[in-house]
Amino acid sequence: MNIVRTELQDSARKLFDPASYVPDRQKSWDGIVEMGWPALAIPEELGGLGEGKAALTTLYREIGRVLAPVPFLPVMLAAQAICQSHTLANRESWVERLIAGEVITCSLLDPIVDCHSNGKLSGTLDAVPDADKASHVLVVTPDKRLCALVALDRPSVTMTGRRMWDESRPLFDVVLNHTEVQPDLVLARDDDAARLAAELQEHLLLATAADSVGAAAATLDMTVEYLKTRRQFDRPLALFQALKHRCADLKALLDSADALVEKYVAGDTGLPFDAVTGAGAVKSYAAWVFRAIAEEAIQLHGGIGLTSEHPCHLFLKRSFLNASLGGTIDEWETVAGQQALAANS
Amino acid sequence: MRIQAEAERVDVTAQSDLESLRQEVRSWLDENVPRDWREVAKDQGQFLNVQKSWFRKLVDAGYATPHWPAGWPGGGRSLAEQKLIYEELARADAPRLILYFVALYHTASTLLAWATPQQQTELLPRILQGEVWCQGFSEPNAGSDLASLRCKAERRGDVYVVNGQKIWSTLAQYADKCLLLVRTSSDGPKQAGITFLLMDMRSKGVTVRPINQITGDEEFSEIFLDDVEIPVANRLGEENQGWAVTQSTLSSERGLTLLELSDRLRGALWRIAALIREKGRSDDQGVQRDFARLTTRVEACRALADQFLLKHMAGEDQIGDASIVKLFYARVLREFATLGSRLGGIDAQYRLPITYGGGQETGNWMADFMNSYAWSIAAGSDEIQKNVVAERLLGMPREPKNWTLQGAGQ
Repeated sequence: MNIVRTELQDSARKLFDPASYVPDRQKSWDGIVEMGWPALAIPEELGGLGEGKAALTTLYREIGRVLAPVPFLPVMLAAQAICQSHTLANRESWVERLIAGEVITCSLLDPIVDCHSNGKLSGTLDAVPDADKASHVLVVTPDKRLCALVALDRPSVTMTGRRMWDESRPLFDVVLNHTEVQPDLVLARDDDAARLAAELQEHLLLATAADSVGAAAATLDMTVEYLKTRRQFDRPLALFQALKHRCADLKALLDSADALVEKYVAGDTGLPFDAVTGAGAVKSYAAWVFRAIAEEAIQLHGGIGLTSEHPCHLFLKRSFLNASLGGTIDEWETVAGQQALAANS
Repeated sequence: MRIQAEAERVDVTAQSDLESLRQEVRSWLDENVPRDWREVAKDQGQFLNVQKSWFRKLVDAGYATPHWPAGWPGGGRSLAEQKLIYEELARADAPRLILYFVALYHTASTLLAWATPQQQTELLPRILQGEVWCQGFSEPNAGSDLASLRCKAERRGDVYVVNGQKIWSTLAQYADKCLLLVRTSSDGPKQAGITFLLMDMRSKGVTVRPINQITGDEEFSEIFLDDVEIPVANRLGEENQGWAVTQSTLSSERGLTLLELSDRLRGALWRIAALIREKGRSDDQGVQRDFARLTTRVEACRALADQFLLKHMAGEDQIGDASIVKLFYARVLREFATLGSRLGGIDAQYRLPITYGGGQETGNWMADFMNSYAWSIAAGSDEIQKNVVAERLLGMPREPKNWTLQGAGQ
C-alpha cells in the first residue's frame, strides 16, 4: 500500500472506533466532510485531492469494516459524474457544494428510469441511500444517451424509506412521475453519457467489492477473537482444531478476495471480460466470500450470534445486501461466462 | 520530491530491462519449446527423453537456473526476472522440469547454504550436467509429522551405516543422488536427533521400488536402505543438526512455483471452454456461470500468488502467507478438474493414456482430478497448512504437545 492509502487507513481508524459498529449517521458524515474526503477523487485543478481508485478503495474498505451508515459511495459517484461533465451549469459551484458536504445520491442497484417521448422521466429507483438527506439524485435513461441530476424536492418526485434487514444503510425508493429534465442539471448526453454510465457502474461494483472485503475482514477478526476468549470444556474454543481449520479456510478465502480486488484496482487482472463485467465478477467473488464468512461467523459464535446485542448479525445482513447491490451474482456470472467462452473460442 | 523522481526513473529503467528480457525469453521459447511433447509423452521412456532434451536446452540458454547466485551459469537473476521467466515458460506451455526439480531447487539451495566450497564446486556443476537428485525425507510413519522419522544411521569410523525406509520420493527410480534425513540420536526432542546426508543412489544396499499410483503413473518411489554405507564427508551440517539444514531445503521454492502453476492454470482454461463447446453446452446458463466462477477464481489465485511474491520480494511476508497460497491453489485446481470431469460426462470415464510429466491440467479429467491431490497432500497437507494459518496468522493457540489419548499408548 502506498503512503496515501496507509494514511487514509490510519485516519479512518481514528475517525471510526474499530470496535463500534454502525456509528452515528450524522456524526460519521460530519467527520468525513471534516477530513475532506468528499474531495478525495476530485481532480486537483477543480480543488480536489486528485486521488484515484486505489485511495477510494481504502476508504470503502474502512467503511465496510465498521458498517458506517454514510452516503460516501453515492457522493463519490456524483463527484465523478460532475467532474467529467461538460454540460452541467456552474460545475465549480457543484464541486464546492460536494466538498462542503452536500449529499447527492444515486441508486446502488441501477440508476435507470424511463424516458417518455416528451422527454419527461418516470420510474422507480431502488436502493437509493440517504435520499432524506440528499438534494439530488443521479439518473440515467434506458438508452444511456442522457445522464442527469434530478432535484429531490420537486413535487413530481416522491421517496419512501424502506425497512431493510440490513439497517447499516438507510435505503429509499425514489419515484419519478413525469419529472422534467432541467437542462442545467444534465451531466452528459449521447456517447459521453453512455461512457459515464459504464464508468459509474464499474465504480459502484468495485466499491461494493471493497466494502465486502473490509467488512469480511472485520467479521473474521471478530470471530477469531471470540473463539480465543470463549471457554468451554475447560479450554478456549480456539484450541479445537475443527474450529481452527474452518477459520483458516475463511482466511484463505478472504485473502484471495482481497488480492483479486487489489489486482483489479491496479488494472492488472487477466480476466477475459470487459471493464464493467470484470468489476461485476470481482464484486460477485468478494460478496460471495463476505457472505460465506458472515454465515460461518454466526455459527461459530453460537447462541450469542443470534442475539441482536451482538454485532455479528449486522455483518450477515450487509453481506446479503452486498450480494444484490449493483446486480446479483447470478446475473454477473452469466454475462462473465458468456464473455469468457467467447474469449476462449 | 527529487528522491521520489529518481526512484521512479530507476523503476522505469528496470521496467524497460524487464521488457527486453521478456522479448528475449519469449522469442527463444517460440523457437525452442518442443511442440508435440504432450502427444509424445505417453510412456515413461518418452517422458525421460522429453525431460532430458528440454533440460539441456534450458540449461544451455541459461533459463534453468535464474535462481542460482551470480557466478553460476544462468544465475544472479533478480526475483522479478525469475518471475518473468516463469511467466513466459507457463505462457509457452513448456514442459515443467519435474525430473530435475529437486536438483535445481532443493539440492542447490541446501548446498549453497550448508556445503563446503569444495562440495559446491564438485556437486553443483554436475547438476547442470544432468545429475538427477531425489529427496529421502518422508517415511511410512513420518509424513506430515516429518520430525518423527526413524531411518537410523550409526557412525562406524568414517561412514554412517543406514537402515530404514523412505517413501513418496519423487522420481527416485531415476535419481543419481539423494538428500537423506536420518536419525542419529533418540535423546531429547525428536528434531534434535536428525542428521542430513547426501547419498549416492548406486550405493550397495539401496533398493528403489516405484509406487503404482491411482492414475497409473509412477511418479513416486519407496527407497529401502539396508546397511547402506555413506561417508561422513557427505554430511551437511553437524551430526544431529540436520533439522536446521532441512529448513533450507523446504524453503527453497519461495513462491515462484505456485505463481507459475497458477499461470498455467489460467493458460489451460481454454480446455474447459473447448469442452463446453464440444458438449453443446455454450448456451446453458448454469454452465456459463460455472465457467465464469472458475475463471474468476483462477484469477484470484494468480493475484494471491503474485501478491505473496511481491511481499516476499519486499521482505514483508509473514509465516503462513505461503500456506494460504498453497491451500487456495489446491482448492482451485480441484475445482478445475471437477468441472472438467463433470462436463465430460461418460467420456471422462473412458480411460485414456496419461501424459507423463504433463502437469496438473492435461484435459484427461479423471487423471487431472486424481493428480490434484498431489497439491492438497504433498509438501505439507492442507490440514497442516490450516494449522499454520490458524496458529501463525490468526494467533489461535497450538494444541499442547503432551496431549495423549489415555489407554492408546504413545
